[in-house]
Amino acid sequence: MNAPDRYERFVVPEGVKKVSYERDTKIINAASFTIEREDHTIGNILRMQLHRDPNVLFAGYKLPHPLQYKILVRIHTTSQSSPTQAYNQSINDLDKELDCLKSAFEAEVARFTSDY
Amino acid sequence: MEGASYQRFPEIKIREMRDDFMKFELRKTDSSMANALRRVMIAEVPTVAVDLVEIEVNSSVLNDEFIAHRLGLIPLTSERAMAMRFSRDCDACDGDGQCEYCSVEFHLRAKCIGDQTLDVTSKDLLSSDHTVTPVDFSEAPATEDATDNRGIIIVKLRKGQELKLRAIARKGIGKDHAKWSPAATVTFMYEPEILINDDLMESLSLEQKKDWVESSPTKVFDIDPNTQQVVVVDPEAYTYDDEVIKKAEAMGKSGLVEIYPKEDSFIFTVESTGAVKAPLLLLNAIEVLKQKLDAVRLPEDSVDADDFGELGAHMRGG
Ligand SMILES: [Zn+2]
Repeated sequence: MNAPDRYERFVVPEGVKKVSYERDTKIINAASFTIEREDHTIGNILRMQLHRDPNVLFAGYKLPHPLQYKILVRIHTTSQSSPTQAYNQSINDLDKELDCLKSAFEAEVARFTSDY
Repeated sequence: MEGASYQRFPEIKIREMRDDFMKFELRKTDSSMANALRRVMIAEVPTVAVDLVEIEVNSSVLNDEFIAHRLGLIPLTSERAMAMRFSRDCDACDGDGQCEYCSVEFHLRAKCIGDQTLDVTSKDLLSSDHTVTPVDFSEAPATEDATDNRGIIIVKLRKGQELKLRAIARKGIGKDHAKWSPAATVTFMYEPEILINDDLMESLSLEQKKDWVESSPTKVFDIDPNTQQVVVVDPEAYTYDDEVIKKAEAMGKSGLVEIYPKEDSFIFTVESTGAVKAPLLLLNAIEVLKQKLDAVRLPEDSVDADDFGELGAHMRGG
């Protein structure tokens, strides 16, 4: 009867921002990003992509609670970069990787169907 | 502000490909990407499934909600689902979920007249849209007397029993309800790298070699009948069970074999319910993941603003 709607898990409520970030008050070039209605799917690929950036000193994510449908991503960078810059760069790189994967798969499907 | 790119260039090789099954190798990427693709294929690639049922007559042995549940679980061809709208954000019907952009209507009418039990199946579910129909895997056009090809049984009717209903199918994702998942199973494994220490292996007698080869629960190794050497016949049969390593230790031959999972090499299997064909399922998963990434990107101006903020923080002694 009082169960929350199932779509609560993946639809961002009105008036809530999908991504917000807060800079660390003590450490320069460190920030915490809150991503609403996302889980390990996005959290883990972001974290691993951030680790490839040599300007990123720390990158980690957590899903605070299974019934809180958000993840927290924490990034600390060198002064050569900034958390927001590293964050967006990692998303752009992942996006390009997926473009690359898509065209590789399409070419492979074409090769496979012509071979067999 | 554009930083340096640390992008990867993954490679893919198909081993098997059918409408409902696909096996492929994914290389030059990491487990986070492999797992993201797996998770998206299972829970976030959209399909169409029955979501609302209005029952007019039901004198069958199953109650209304039981039948509604069974209807929901029938896979419907969902090639069009990516282009459809979710009912909850459809403007054309005010989220009513009954317009052509976000839904498909079905009708079912069945009545048992004779003494023989009547099977009501997914084939009795008549669609208002020929692109969205119950999945049919039979290859030849259905012949009237084909007993092995009658679709998915919904309910059985005895003489005098009747079922009459209207069903609305809507777009959805597996995260909402498993009936919308296009995947029966999606798995990936690390490709194993198996290194046999040849010198140590040659110190074994043929009997010992046989004993060691037999210790693996799956057939990974064999003995070449000509050279009597141990060879790897099927590295992917290895289940990371460590049995051969323990056996080598027990024989006092530690280091006889070393097995590593290749961290950037995966073997995927994708089984589809038929709602979306297996190759399209992967393509849709890539597309959905791209959309998800796009949604979490910070607007460029907020990134630039942050740089100013950083500078300001420096100037304030921050
Ligand atoms: Zn609509």
